[in-house]
Amino acid sequence: MEICNSYSSSSVDSTNPSPSEYSVNLSLSLTFPSTSPQRARKQDWPPIKPRLRDTLKGRRRLLQRDYDTCLFVKVYMEGVPIGRKLDLSTFSGYESLLENLSHMFNTSIICGNHRDRKHHVLTYQDTDGDWMMVGDIPWEMFLETVRRLKITKPERC
Amino acid sequence: MNYFPDEVVEHVFDFVTSHKDRNSISLVCKSWFKIERYSRQNVFIGNCYSINPERLLRRFPCFKSLTLKGKPHFADFNLVPHGWGGFVQPWIEALARSRVGLEELRLKRMVVTDESLELLSRSFVNFKSLVLVSCEGFSTDGLASIASNCRHLRDLDLQENEIDDHRGQWLSCFPEAYTSLVTLNFACLEGETNLVALERLVARSPNLRSLKLNRAVPLDALARLMACAPQIVDLGVGSYEDEQDSESCLKLQAAIRKCTSLRSLSGFLEAAPHCLSAFHPVCHNLTYLNLSYAAEINGSHLIRLIEHCKKLQRLWILDSIGDKGLEVVASTCKELQELRVFPTDLQGGGNTAVTEDGLVAISAGCPKLHSILYFCQQMTNAALITVAKNCPNFIRFRLCILEPHKPDHVTSQPLDEGFGAIVQACKNLKRLSVSGLLTDQVFLYIGMFATQLEMLSIAFAGDTDKGMLYVLNGCKKMRKLEIRDSPFGDTALLADVNKYVTMRSLWMSSCEVTLGGCKRLAQKAPWLNVEIINENDNNRMEENGYEGRQKVDKMYLYRTVVGTRVDAPPFVWIL
Repeated sequence: MEICNSYSSSSVDSTNPSPSEYSVNLSLSLTFPSTSPQRARKQDWPPIKPRLRDTLKGRRRLLQRDYDTCLFVKVYMEGVPIGRKLDLSTFSGYESLLENLSHMFNTSIICGNHRDRKHHVLTYQDTDGDWMMVGDIPWEMFLETVRRLKITKPERC
Repeated sequence: MNYFPDEVVEHVFDFVTSHKDRNSISLVCKSWFKIERYSRQNVFIGNCYSINPERLLRRFPCFKSLTLKGKPHFADFNLVPHGWGGFVQPWIEALARSRVGLEELRLKRMVVTDESLELLSRSFVNFKSLVLVSCEGFSTDGLASIASNCRHLRDLDLQENEIDDHRGQWLSCFPEAYTSLVTLNFACLEGETNLVALERLVARSPNLRSLKLNRAVPLDALARLMACAPQIVDLGVGSYEDEQDSESCLKLQAAIRKCTSLRSLSGFLEAAPHCLSAFHPVCHNLTYLNLSYAAEINGSHLIRLIEHCKKLQRLWILDSIGDKGLEVVASTCKELQELRVFPTDLQGGGNTAVTEDGLVAISAGCPKLHSILYFCQQMTNAALITVAKNCPNFIRFRLCILEPHKPDHVTSQPLDEGFGAIVQACKNLKRLSVSGLLTDQVFLYIGMFATQLEMLSIAFAGDTDKGMLYVLNGCKKMRKLEIRDSPFGDTALLADVNKYVTMRSLWMSSCEVTLGGCKRLAQKAPWLNVEIINENDNNRMEENGYEGRQKVDKMYLYRTVVGTRVDAPPFVWIL
């Protein structure tokens, strides 16, 4: 696997006659050479148009996923002993997840921000084993850390 | 031909449409110059600062279509600071004052304001076609003027512009009686769209051939739109969040099946992975597929779509398709002429989605391939040599290895031999972009073999001024040369000043060129505008001691017949 690195560890003779332009960076940097922070901020490499750059930044990190990888998690509703199983990879984001769950459990479920007495709140258990409110982190990050879901009564949160 | 009346000669000239050919015709004799002047319909100006509107109108008083380009190409990659120039306002003002019956305006990389659009919409009764590519400076209010006032508008084509979306009602500004729309492309708008107005507009546009929606147009609206416009040839899908088996999805599938004229598909700006299958029924007719914004769709879905696209001529895709996917393209798309593979991983994290293998597979499988833009993490000389052997017909070859200075990953050698093979085999090569570890040798090859080369992009390449000199001396047809982060300096810049007469422009940034060198060039070549772009210092360069030897961060020079431009901002210093 090639990791982009700076000149100090490059095996090829650096032919650039103005070394002052490039900082010697001994850390394993994943940005491009001329690793000065200014250049990294300038967003002028690789040569792609701003619109594509923005699109890619917002892209969900499904890089290592094959088509056949799905993400089934258990879903329990508080007070109901029998749970369901749900493939999270079929959802595009929190909205579609909530909609689907609300439908599945025949109740209204929301994410944490707009709590009130009427709606259930969706929570999840992450890789650390902690129970967290759904919706705080970006969707793709959520997919990477979610282990199971629980629909809780509003008072609990 | 001298014995024919002017009208006959003019009629013959009508069959000559290319700018280059018409320019040649006008040089034959005075009489032809005059006839050609008055009959030129389409004027192309590659650099808006090479001439001014007054001289344009004096030479061509009767044109109907104007194409103007503003900022240099590297502006696409954030290398040209905001406010540099390329304002269309003076052009529209001058044309409005004249008697030109402007019908078509095509602008690229220019600054367009709402005021400009308003003036445009009010000044030309027969205005038919507005195409804006990579422009900025206007809002949907400007679009509202165009919609309201251009009674005969056929085309409103907005490609990749930065538009301030006021979420207004510009779509409802098209009058109810207006039915002549042929092209509507607003994919680059970021805000909400008045769906009702859009549907009514599409429903009353029987001639609509090209419709490209923005991300605010959801699935159910898409279904209704396609049902209204089964004659559509070119479709840009906005948003397609998957709702399998929903009523909208079924309606869409039914509508798609009726679109038997559909040849071109793009968009999918927000798309769930499973959505592409709805389009499988029309794939066998597609000639152009642009999925370069469909960042959510993974390789296998892309492959399944492409397997159906046997007639594809142009494919723009993300590297998530992978080498395997490119092999499928190579075996399926035998008519392929143009391929662009864009990167998805900008961090260089080692995601080798596409490699030299994919490129070789394409070159072996697609005999008609003549244009390629390929972003990848690694390359080898052997692969490039094979590609050159397989595809001697390249007209455009752009390879971007994401990591600058990266050598052949197998041999650790520079990629000189690989690119050398490309230029030697491809005798019709007009455009080339090089990357990876490259010494002066590659430029020796380019100068020697790339006789038809018109545009060359260099980044992080070369050793000494000799490299640039090989190119300037060898490539007789060079028009646009753009160089960044390469060790070329004053010696190369000043070696042959007359070279810049035959070239449109030269861009050099983060090279070894000094202020003294630029000044000497400006002195020797009064027909050039030599611009120093210095956004950080605001011309403090003048006050520093070592002025002559100080390196210039960005230099852009271009030939012009109208001297220094008057609209330059403070950070641009024209020598």
